[in-house]
Amino acid sequence: MSENNGVYGEADATEEKSSANGTETTQNAASTDESLNARVKQPKRGKPKYWLWVIVAAIAAVAVVVGVCVARGSTSGSQTGEASDTISDTLTIGLKLAPVSLDIRQQSGTALEQVLIGNVYEGLVSRGSDNKVQPGLAKSWDISTDGKTYMFHLNEHMSFSNGDDLDAEDVAWSINQLKEQQYYNADQVASLERAEAVDANTVRLTLSSPDSNLLWYLTGRPGLVFDKDAQYDAKTQALGSGPYTVESFDSADKMVLKANPSYWGSEHKAKTERVVLRFLPDDNAGVNALKSGDIQVLLPVNATLAKSLDATNFKTVVDEGSDKFTLVFNCANDKLADKRVRQAIRHAINHEEIIASRGGVDAALGGPIASVDPGYEDLTSLYPHDVSKAKQLMAAAGYSTDHPLTLTLTYANTYGTELGDQLRSQLAAIGIDLKINYVEFSTWLKDVHSNGDYELSLVDHADSHDFYKWATPSYYYHYDNKEVQELYAKALAATDEATGENYLKQAAKLVSEDAPADWLFSYRASVSYAKGVQGFPDKLSQIVLPLWQITYVK
Amino acid sequence: MATLRVTLRVILRSMWRRAGGRYSLIVLGLWVLVSLVSLVWTPYSLLATDGFHVWSKPSAAHPLGTDGVGADVLSWLMAGSRTNLIIAALSVIVAAAFGLLLVAAMVSRHGALSAVSVVLVDALISVPTVLVALILCVPFGASAAVIVAACGFAYGLNLARILRPSAMLAARSAYVQSALHSGMPAARVFLTHIVPNTLPVLVVQLSMSAGTSILAEAGLTYLGIGVGAGVPSWGHSLATSVKFVGIYPLTVLWPGLVVTAVVVALNLLGDALRDAADPLANPALRGGQDER
Amino acid sequence: MRFMVRRLALFAAALVGLSLLVFVVLRVLPGDVAAVMAGTNATPERIVSLRAQMGLDRSYAAQYLDWADGLFHGDLGTSAIGGKSVASQVGTRAGVTFPLIVLSLLIALAIGLPLGCAAVLTRNERLRGVFHVVAIVGGAVPALWSGLLLILLFARGVGLFGVFPSQGFPADGWSNPGQALMALVLPALATGLTAGAGLMRYTRAALGEAASNSAVDMAMACGMTRVQALLRVGLRLALPQLVSVFGLMFAQMITGVMVIESLFALPGLGAMLVTDVGNRDLLAVQSELFLLAAFFLLLGLLVDLAHRVLDPRFKTARSREVG
Repeated sequence: MSENNGVYGEADATEEKSSANGTETTQNAASTDESLNARVKQPKRGKPKYWLWVIVAAIAAVAVVVGVCVARGSTSGSQTGEASDTISDTLTIGLKLAPVSLDIRQQSGTALEQVLIGNVYEGLVSRGSDNKVQPGLAKSWDISTDGKTYMFHLNEHMSFSNGDDLDAEDVAWSINQLKEQQYYNADQVASLERAEAVDANTVRLTLSSPDSNLLWYLTGRPGLVFDKDAQYDAKTQALGSGPYTVESFDSADKMVLKANPSYWGSEHKAKTERVVLRFLPDDNAGVNALKSGDIQVLLPVNATLAKSLDATNFKTVVDEGSDKFTLVFNCANDKLADKRVRQAIRHAINHEEIIASRGGVDAALGGPIASVDPGYEDLTSLYPHDVSKAKQLMAAAGYSTDHPLTLTLTYANTYGTELGDQLRSQLAAIGIDLKINYVEFSTWLKDVHSNGDYELSLVDHADSHDFYKWATPSYYYHYDNKEVQELYAKALAATDEATGENYLKQAAKLVSEDAPADWLFSYRASVSYAKGVQGFPDKLSQIVLPLWQITYVK
Repeated sequence: MATLRVTLRVILRSMWRRAGGRYSLIVLGLWVLVSLVSLVWTPYSLLATDGFHVWSKPSAAHPLGTDGVGADVLSWLMAGSRTNLIIAALSVIVAAAFGLLLVAAMVSRHGALSAVSVVLVDALISVPTVLVALILCVPFGASAAVIVAACGFAYGLNLARILRPSAMLAARSAYVQSALHSGMPAARVFLTHIVPNTLPVLVVQLSMSAGTSILAEAGLTYLGIGVGAGVPSWGHSLATSVKFVGIYPLTVLWPGLVVTAVVVALNLLGDALRDAADPLANPALRGGQDER
Repeated sequence: MRFMVRRLALFAAALVGLSLLVFVVLRVLPGDVAAVMAGTNATPERIVSLRAQMGLDRSYAAQYLDWADGLFHGDLGTSAIGGKSVASQVGTRAGVTFPLIVLSLLIALAIGLPLGCAAVLTRNERLRGVFHVVAIVGGAVPALWSGLLLILLFARGVGLFGVFPSQGFPADGWSNPGQALMALVLPALATGLTAGAGLMRYTRAALGEAASNSAVDMAMACGMTRVQALLRVGLRLALPQLVSVFGLMFAQMITGVMVIESLFALPGLGAMLVTDVGNRDLLAVQSELFLLAAFFLLLGLLVDLAHRVLDPRFKTARSREVG
């Protein structure tokens, strides 16, 4: 028996320990231990219950605190509801997408543009909620007849929020830096050669070739003007000339914007003193925050959840936008080089069903150009939902439900599993065995976007005016159609709008007929706001969010 | 062989006599049965979706309703049961193999090896399953294999720690010593003399691990580091039902009920099996003959 | 003493191994932060130039040494995307996760300890059966599901009895402690109930074992009632085991807590890890993972030491080891 004790001495006495995985000490082990326990002397001490009281006290304390909170929570809830008609000096807006940093010259993402452009940073020209070019820092401009020289006449007495003057030097410097450092979207204004300050209030841009898109692109990041003389950490701070300044920013929580007291303009002067943008990636949390009054606007709100909002207190509008959910077929892939397969897929997809399952607010889209962009026309009749036709096309290409074609769809997990499941189900009917490769967005970027290594890919192309991607064979679409490229070049070179749009229409129709992709739907963001919120734009608020005009009257 | 079959019958019969044992046998039997049936038949094909009837309430057509793409919840739960069966079985096998390997190292006569393994187990046991899964998920992507590996690792460590005392006792016993002296290979001694000594604890632990692996599957799949997209599993059904819990609460009920019922059965199974298979606790096993 | 030294040496070695493991595993990830920054409109040249700017084109060895050197001096580095220090980021997020864990553990204690004791103290067989069922079923509920059920029962706007706020964390965070605590009640209950059932089983097992200890018999022989003897002497015997179980519970709870944080949309450590891994912000992720894993290793160490200190039997064991 003494041997047993010896064993015990070498053990680490951890034998009864087990994790919260749900294990239970067993009787058998217990009986072993018990026989050992019996042999070990117990020290006899006289204060055994100290710790018990500590625990009991701690639990009681927590119970009291929770109780107090419950009581407090219910009283604070009953206080809301009385009305007054002054404009609230704080407006809180809930946003689903958060910018990850403030570095608008380097960091991708439409959330960054939505929040900062026009609010904190301003561009040479600005964009209205109708997606058209409007005056910005420049009050007017002249374009030479050959379309290669732009003269911008700036507003006078403009300044940055730190007090520095904003003049033609800053404008020219910002644009030349963009080209030199190849900042984000610099390639969109590739035709731009250089910018010069003619005098304090005039800037001249020189182009290598005419570009009918240039002005519009200058409403986005390429046209933003930064303070040449200021030093700041662009990731965590922002210094612009807009009606608001950034007071604090935490991408996991919120951004606080304060009205810029020395704002140069009178037209876009902030009406609300303080705007808090809360980042609420979770749909349910967003709606809860709206209901409880934590936020006054939720952007975007999930269409299904929006129906649960009380219509007497909240207004929900559906916002037209430029988001195109694009199912791209890699034409460089052997299986998809066959046009019949691509056409069959387009006929097989039931867009109405997909839209219905998402809450029925999105719009069908038949081609590469969104309804808010120039060159849009309704192309949904080109490939109507027609399973028998799709089957015929597949049969002609040599596939059937008995000899299915195996394809892989690679898409990012930011979009939810539903779309993949639905496509798999709809394509199975025409003899396509769709495998889903559901990856992180960064993996998608590497495999699909950088390496072009994919068969089908699904992504939401949110940018407006992005038809150029179909005319750029090196882009991950791998779509190479000389006719389309020529038409797009003509559209760019066109000096009047109508001609340009006409060329774009022709090009878009060609692309859609060729079926290098299917456009599942044009995503339309629903926006819900409390009664009392005024001045909220009804279009494109996913990209252009003019905070200066939004007010909230309690 | 014949005696083994008799013993098995005795064990099953005496398990059946206990309420807990009977419950676990019925539920586990159903689980295996449904898994097998789902291989050849489910009410709807897993591919069937219907975007016009999403989140529908239970009806004659869909006894448990439909999910966010209009797929039949019952069909997905049925198909999910086989995925979970495989995950539970593999997790248990991996945990048992890994755990026994560690036990062998801990009771080995090489002082350094046993010392290092003892401390290693103590150190690693506090690393949570989710961290292991998260790290494994990085190079390999989300899949059932990640769950099995993470669960096997964590439960193996746990098993090793719990088995050590009884394994130690057995290792120092006279019969093991004499077997070693008579020239029997150490590995064989371990398997024939030490492992059987730990069997009661082993059985309980492993059946618990099976239950925990099912809970882990649900959690990890919800976090996106469990089974891949489009693979039916209970965790998948539970995770997809979460989206609109406030508006369509019914969908949430079913997968949770199934998981709870099965995990309860697995937890009871271990206890019942131990009680029934232990000659000390079960008189029917003594003398190798049937009761009465 | 030898045990302590051995354990500490292993702890240090484990930290070094851990840093290597985390570093290597993360480099296997496809995609990088430069591509994420550049987005879907990017040209390959832009990605290359961003990589160079962020020093991602340096050799892995140089990058590792840089990081390890920082760690050694207590510098966790800076997030490549957000430009904030990892330490402050972890600090803010831990301000949600750790209160949640502590609250869950308190709930687990409040449920598990008394019920576990009661299960041993009672002589009523039927009552014992009820306790047994509660423990078994309580431990078998997925945390995700109990969270959902709690929302359906008690969340404002959704549940039958709208008492607590449902998903989300208040805008002011801990500057409004009442609201913040309220937001944590349902999540803490979701994890605490399951853990409480587990603790109840441990308590029952440990106390049940202690009940058959001769010390308890002795106490009863000295005139204590069975209940007194069990609570005064039995619990004291069971304490070391319960402490280690409790420590490990803390560690394993993080899995459930991550699920629950996601369900209740709380900005905790789990959400941070997922976002940073998604952005391939490896400079941040490697420090965060390292910190978390190191924390759990430390926890394991402390539990082990506490067990030794609390367990009276080790005194004899140690003297034997020396002799």
